Amino acid sequence: MLSLPLLKQSIKSNSVMWGSMTGVMTLLCVQFSSLDMTRSLLFTIFYGMMTTILPGIYVLVTANKLLASQVDRGSMAYVLSTPTKRSSVTFTQAFYLVNSLVAMFGIQTLAHLLVNRVKPLALGELAYSSLAGELTSKMILQVNLSALMVCIALAAVCFMFSGVFNSTKYSIGMSGAFIGVSILANMLAMFGNLGVEGLKNFKYLTLCSFYDYQSVLAGSTDWISKLIFPAAIALAAFAAGRLVFARKDLPL
Amino acid sequence: MRDIIKAESLTKDYGSGRGVFDLSFSVRQGEVFGLVGTNGSGKTTTLRQLMGFIRPDSGSCSIFDSDCTRSSGSFMSRVGYVPGEIDFPDMGSGTSFLKLRAEYLGIKDSRYIGELVDMFRLDSDAPLKRMSKGMKQKTALVAAFMSRPDVLLLDEPSTGLDPLMRDTLTELILKEKKRGAAVLMSSHIFKELDDTADRVLFIEDGKKLDLIETGTLTAGLPKAYRVGFKSGRDIDRFLLTTKMAVTHTNRDALHIDISVQENGLEQLFGELSGFDIRYLRERPFTLEGYYTDVIEKGGKRSA
Repeated sequence: MLSLPLLKQSIKSNSVMWGSMTGVMTLLCVQFSSLDMTRSLLFTIFYGMMTTILPGIYVLVTANKLLASQVDRGSMAYVLSTPTKRSSVTFTQAFYLVNSLVAMFGIQTLAHLLVNRVKPLALGELAYSSLAGELTSKMILQVNLSALMVCIALAAVCFMFSGVFNSTKYSIGMSGAFIGVSILANMLAMFGNLGVEGLKNFKYLTLCSFYDYQSVLAGSTDWISKLIFPAAIALAAFAAGRLVFARKDLPL
Repeated sequence: MRDIIKAESLTKDYGSGRGVFDLSFSVRQGEVFGLVGTNGSGKTTTLRQLMGFIRPDSGSCSIFDSDCTRSSGSFMSRVGYVPGEIDFPDMGSGTSFLKLRAEYLGIKDSRYIGELVDMFRLDSDAPLKRMSKGMKQKTALVAAFMSRPDVLLLDEPSTGLDPLMRDTLTELILKEKKRGAAVLMSSHIFKELDDTADRVLFIEDGKKLDLIETGTLTAGLPKAYRVGFKSGRDIDRFLLTTKMAVTHTNRDALHIDISVQENGLEQLFGELSGFDIRYLRERPFTLEGYYTDVIEKGGKRSA
């Protein structure tokens, strides 16, 4: 099912984008969690926005490159004119996409764990919060798991568009609109949470609402049940993209 | 020799007359089969269906008796494909692309790849993005031939090649044919088909126009001769008396073209005996001549 040469090709041709996004995200995380000036905003800004915006941009560009762009440009002919089946192409590319996100969050989480060990954060320091106690390693892992699951769902929807369309302009167009709305609505909904009543309903417009760092910090288990929805959406979207890609005509 | 590539009533309708309609043909082991037609006549659509990239609306095609649409994966390791539009994966240099391709195909021994690279004088260390059209084409050719495939599907393989490289390609195709490969190639360049193809299928608007066997082509057909005269007066005098079929007269170059039936050569010499001629030469039969004479003038249009 997994094609090793294709996986190698995907890692190589997406390494720059993956590397820079992982680098920026990790640096921001280290900065927000270590500098006194920004620590109070670690959750509002970094975990509230950056952990969806940066991976969002990454999956938008990468999902398109994994299928649609290669069909559009014609280079997919070189993958499919080998014993590699279409189903193993979609499997391998989805495998790459999910695992590159896992690695991205893994590195960032590791950096945060290290910083938090050296310089632990008291939850009371956080802005807009009335929590007590310290930020534990377990919490960091849980927050990142919650964010990762939502990003995988975002990735899966972009991957579906990439599998459905033969041309980059439609794939990027639909994925871009989807990611744009998801991120923007998430930001507006966050302002809603911080007190602007009129913006609260934006949370119904975005998958990012299933990412619930507040529940983790408060010690409730809401975030766990919220993992189910993005996981189901991800599975459905990957399956849809895979099905269409396996059956459609390819201009190669 | 058994049929390797088979197409039966292949039909793919893109609307407004574009596509391929009811196309049937087969390519035997050790045969070079040419596909000729104007731009948009359906050559690429045919090849894409054989590769399993496009699903036919009706009809079917198979390679090694495996259906191209349903089980193309089963024969891909034995097929070499040069796409009409070439773009490579984002892999840096030509060498790393060829190495990756060898991995895809499970080729361990890279000696033959090296031979091909030398044969085409390919500077494979150059970055793929900066390659010229000809360089890309050569890279694509090496990629298609590197596994010594039993089937070659070549979509205008000589695009962008200089004449010298075209000859190299012709030699390579003949070598593969001798080895027993079934080769299906589309082309605009009649010369390379002349030199390689056993049979040529002419298509227009996706429909079969004519299928000719190049080997037996010249046998029963009239031959074309060109006669150069010393003066225009001689030409006039000849035209008055001749019973031969004169197809073309050029008074500036002082020559005429004559179509001579199989045993009419004696008559031609007889008629020319009273003239002082500069030269007499047979014009070699070419597919190009066939194409312009027979197809474009609509003389043999039988869709």
